[in-house]
Amino acid sequence: MVKVHFLLEDLLVEAPAGTSLQRIADAAGADITFGCRTGSCGTCRVRIAEGLAHCNEPGPEERDFLKSLDAPPDQRLACQVTVQGDLAIEYLGL
Amino acid sequence: MTTLDTLLREKVLLLDGGMGTQIFARKPTMEDYGGAALEGCVDLLTERRPHWIREIHESYFRAGADAVETNTFGANPLVLGDFGLSAKAYDLNVQAASMAKEVARSFDRPRFVIGSVGPGTKLITLGHVSYADLLASYRVQMDGLLEGGADAILIETCQDLGQIKVAVRAAREAMATKRCRIPIWVQATVETTGTLLVGSDISAVLTSVEPLGIDVLGLNCGTGPDEMHAHLQTLSETSPFRISCLPNAGLPENRDGQVVYPLAPEPFVQKVLHAASEFGIAILGGCCGTTPDHIRALVPGVEKLNPPKRTPKLERSAASLYQSVALKQEPAPLIVGERTNANGSKKFRDLLAAEDWDGMIALAKEQQREGAHLLDLCVAYVGRDEVRDADELLNRLITQITLPLMIDSTEFPVIERALQRSPGKCVINSINFEDGEAKAQAILELCKTYGAAVVALTIDERGMAKTREQKLEVARRLHALAVGEYGLNPGDLIIDPLTFTLGSGDEEFRGSAIETLEALRLIKAELPGVMTILGVSNVSFGLNPASRHVLNALMLYHGVKHGLDMAIFNASKVIPVAKIDPEDRRIVEDLLFDRRSEGYDPLKALMARFSSRKAAVADDHRADLPVMERLHRGILDGEKQAILADVDEALKDHDPLKLINEVLLGAMKVVGERFGSGEMQLPFVLESAEAMKAAIKRIEPHLPRESNYQKGRILLATVKGDVHDIGKNLVDIILSNNGFEVKNLGIKQPIEAILKELEAWPADAIGLSGLLVKSTVIMKENLHFMEELGHKVPVILGGAALTRDYVEGDCRRTYSGSVFYAEDAFEGLRHMQALVSGETDVPAAAPAADAAGEIKILRRGSAAVPLTAHGQSSWVRHDAPPPQPPFWGVRELTDAPVDLFDHLDAFALIRNRWGFSQGSQSDEAFTAILRDKAVPQLVRWKERLATDPLFQPRARYGYFPVRAEGDALRVLDPADPTRSLAVLTFPRQASGRRLCIPDFFSTDRTDVLALQLVTLGQGAADHAARLYREDGYGDYFAFHGLATELTEAYAERVHARIRRELDIAAKDLPGRALFAQGYQGSRYSYGYPACPDLEGNGPLLDLLQGGAIGVHLSESHQMDPEYTTSALVAWHPQARYFSV
Repeated sequence: MVKVHFLLEDLLVEAPAGTSLQRIADAAGADITFGCRTGSCGTCRVRIAEGLAHCNEPGPEERDFLKSLDAPPDQRLACQVTVQGDLAIEYLGL
Repeated sequence: MTTLDTLLREKVLLLDGGMGTQIFARKPTMEDYGGAALEGCVDLLTERRPHWIREIHESYFRAGADAVETNTFGANPLVLGDFGLSAKAYDLNVQAASMAKEVARSFDRPRFVIGSVGPGTKLITLGHVSYADLLASYRVQMDGLLEGGADAILIETCQDLGQIKVAVRAAREAMATKRCRIPIWVQATVETTGTLLVGSDISAVLTSVEPLGIDVLGLNCGTGPDEMHAHLQTLSETSPFRISCLPNAGLPENRDGQVVYPLAPEPFVQKVLHAASEFGIAILGGCCGTTPDHIRALVPGVEKLNPPKRTPKLERSAASLYQSVALKQEPAPLIVGERTNANGSKKFRDLLAAEDWDGMIALAKEQQREGAHLLDLCVAYVGRDEVRDADELLNRLITQITLPLMIDSTEFPVIERALQRSPGKCVINSINFEDGEAKAQAILELCKTYGAAVVALTIDERGMAKTREQKLEVARRLHALAVGEYGLNPGDLIIDPLTFTLGSGDEEFRGSAIETLEALRLIKAELPGVMTILGVSNVSFGLNPASRHVLNALMLYHGVKHGLDMAIFNASKVIPVAKIDPEDRRIVEDLLFDRRSEGYDPLKALMARFSSRKAAVADDHRADLPVMERLHRGILDGEKQAILADVDEALKDHDPLKLINEVLLGAMKVVGERFGSGEMQLPFVLESAEAMKAAIKRIEPHLPRESNYQKGRILLATVKGDVHDIGKNLVDIILSNNGFEVKNLGIKQPIEAILKELEAWPADAIGLSGLLVKSTVIMKENLHFMEELGHKVPVILGGAALTRDYVEGDCRRTYSGSVFYAEDAFEGLRHMQALVSGETDVPAAAPAADAAGEIKILRRGSAAVPLTAHGQSSWVRHDAPPPQPPFWGVRELTDAPVDLFDHLDAFALIRNRWGFSQGSQSDEAFTAILRDKAVPQLVRWKERLATDPLFQPRARYGYFPVRAEGDALRVLDPADPTRSLAVLTFPRQASGRRLCIPDFFSTDRTDVLALQLVTLGQGAADHAARLYREDGYGDYFAFHGLATELTEAYAERVHARIRRELDIAAKDLPGRALFAQGYQGSRYSYGYPACPDLEGNGPLLDLLQGGAIGVHLSESHQMDPEYTTSALVAWHPQARYFSV
């Protein structure tokens, strides 16, 4: 099991390793707004405050997208993240 | 005397920076241009404000530039014609060049003037302007620049390969008339996409302009220095011309509503000098956003550079609009596809007779898939107008095919027209000396003018050369004329030493293959650099197909060993020699090399051996495949025309039901698998579905009356309150073309209506679709309603806002029949197949605890922010005063459809709407699909919308005084702010930031609320409906996607206007980031997470008087017509999207 800490509302959630962050956020009612849920609108952009190494690698389309936003490497699109270890998340939105 | 050329041998030449940038810095007024109608005609300022232009030239010379560019970027009759000034073109060029020369002469050391020739406003490759008109227009400009004394012609900022070739020709002809020769420089603009605007890569540009004899090939504009590296490297390694590099000062950014180029002189210089030494650049300067300061800063570094020395290696190549293809392939040979030839292919001839241009293009594409490197194209057909046919076909072909063309015609006017219509570098097929040299000379003249390679046959006045000595002799004569007299590069001369059939047994030709092979060896040895080609399959003419394949394959094999570079061959028929049976090979080689002996004739042996053998299937092309295989491939390749003939043939001796069930549905199954594994893109899937539909329609009349090939039935509907059609229609297309009977009830269907239909038309399942967040709730309510009535029919749910967890958890728990989630149409298909075959049991509803898997909330902190005394989130600060709108109340806008493209999120369109996604494909394969399919499709739509009034974009927007009151906004009357027009209430987040839209407006002073409404008009909705009705799935899907994104683009356009008018546009981000709320404030539309209730559209439409532009509210509170969207705009910096 891994722990995900949503910093904005101090929400701490436990989930099996390998669960998608989107599923965790939905299930726990975290304050993350999802738009397209396919990695192309950017509404769910988050900063991985801790545990960046515990996320899957971004795919080519997410990489392209974040590059177009000039996002620093600790930012991800929450809908594309699979959680492999403990994380602390700060929701940025767009 | 120092000339440009001598100076270039001594040093790296420093050019000037931006001209436009300097002119606009002087803020030209209407008076400067000479009236409102002439506003923006920068070229006219040479005449009206000559002192400005002088000052700019002087400032660049003073900064240290060796040469300046004239103010003539658009000074040709076509561009000036937009201002009614065509007649001034010549004089403006003379004046601009001579004025610049005067300034140059006032400096002590040699300074030069480069005549700037811009790309104009019309793309010849896309048919905006005819070849003759463009040539005539450039000719005027070239004449003027030469007369004014320009030291070089610079054809710059080129975005269209076709345009470059025309402009170079105009320059050459102007010089020939004036009997002078100054250097011709060409600079292409490679966009951030890595290609020119029309899609050409830099190698295609080089290959196409190289034969035209220019002096410089470089890059300017489009990007900053960094983005140019890959293209400069290509030029550095391959271009025989000097390289110039004039980048912009970085990629543009939007600051304060102004386009700003971010690179200051220091970093610009660093990057440019780095590129100069890395890639051996001979000419440096700047383009947009660069100033005399940038040039001045370059001087010290440029002085330290030596003139570059490179050893470029250019392979002789041909080019299409998109890419360059080397004539020498590894492994050899280059294959020339032979089936787009009216002389050689009956199928092509029939398509031509029927003027089925799409069918011809399909045939061309088929050869591309089969591995041809070039396409031989011949539209000669007795009784038809060959020039017109070439025109019609090429107009369509050049943007759709990535292979270079071999123009196969004996008619001079056809060849010339084809060369004018083809943007890349073609090969002409062919010349010979049958009637002396005159005709060959005329065609070689075309090669020089248009930059083409040529096939030359060893035929002279005596006829076809048969011995190796004769072949070599004619080849030498061809070489002397083409290379010696006309100056063709030997690599652009492709000698065909002819091959004759061995199938006749005619004694005269028994040794003909040996003569041809030996001639190949002699030609390659004696005429260095020339290429060779053979129409290989002639060798086996008259034999049966099975033996032909083997004989052709071995002739090709030995040809290559003897120096054959290219073969006109059916690419799908290439058999690897290793796969040929050794005994077959022995006999065939005996035939090729005429090894007869007492009682042994290899020809007879071959005929006996192959008499009963069928041609090998696996290596065959379509026409020779069994009909069932052709049908299968027809579906996979989406050949909606070709498949009809195959269906007719198959119906002759196959059971129609079996055709559908086993062959066609089997092929669709493969389509589904390929889509699922990411090998196949949605647009191609739709092409397959169109082919399926066409095939089924053809078969249906042949089905026995009682028979039913359909596997099951489904009722489809978009749920109540939701107008979104496309997802449901995709499901309809996929299911109905996979053997299911679909009743599509349409949009906004209340559950009562759906169940009533079910009574009359019992179905195996109901499919519910919806895009809105609210629709997910409706779906669950529907299931609840069905449960109450005791229904058990399975339900499949799909839609953008649904999640698997929600369907398999909440929804399943609500209903005791089965409930399935379909992520896409193919998952829906799998559920249907499982349902009708009884393969699956009704899946149990996931127990509540499982709904969230094992996700457990360990702690929900008390981090909900407190509300203020006014009942608003304290997270929102109200520091800044509200902005002042330029007016109060509502205004109306009308925009041209093409203007919306400026705001189009092409990435979202191509990836999301059109469904091009990388899936399991390699980067190269995916890039090729984007380049060859997606981008041309977008360009074509844009073209079409410029003339075809499918869209009538109209908008209303306005500013209202407003006050926030807790969870509501009170909208006030602009004319009488004490009067309230409407009270809009919104939901509030329960925890966390506890946001609600009114929080972004002030409670204690009058704030400003902007409202907007945009529509593409009823015509757009009608057109989409028509395409769907007529089974144009691919077009329907593409059109719908485009219209949806253009509606968004229009909303963004109006929103951008609002931001400008409120003076908050300073934070707008450049490029795609803008689409991701890269601006101050937020635009909220009803139906989305921050305000999910569509009811709000009512008051919004009232406030904006939507009826004035034909927008009305449906009973489900959605806007009609389709392709309409509305929004509330908040200016507050903290206003972002959020979910309640």
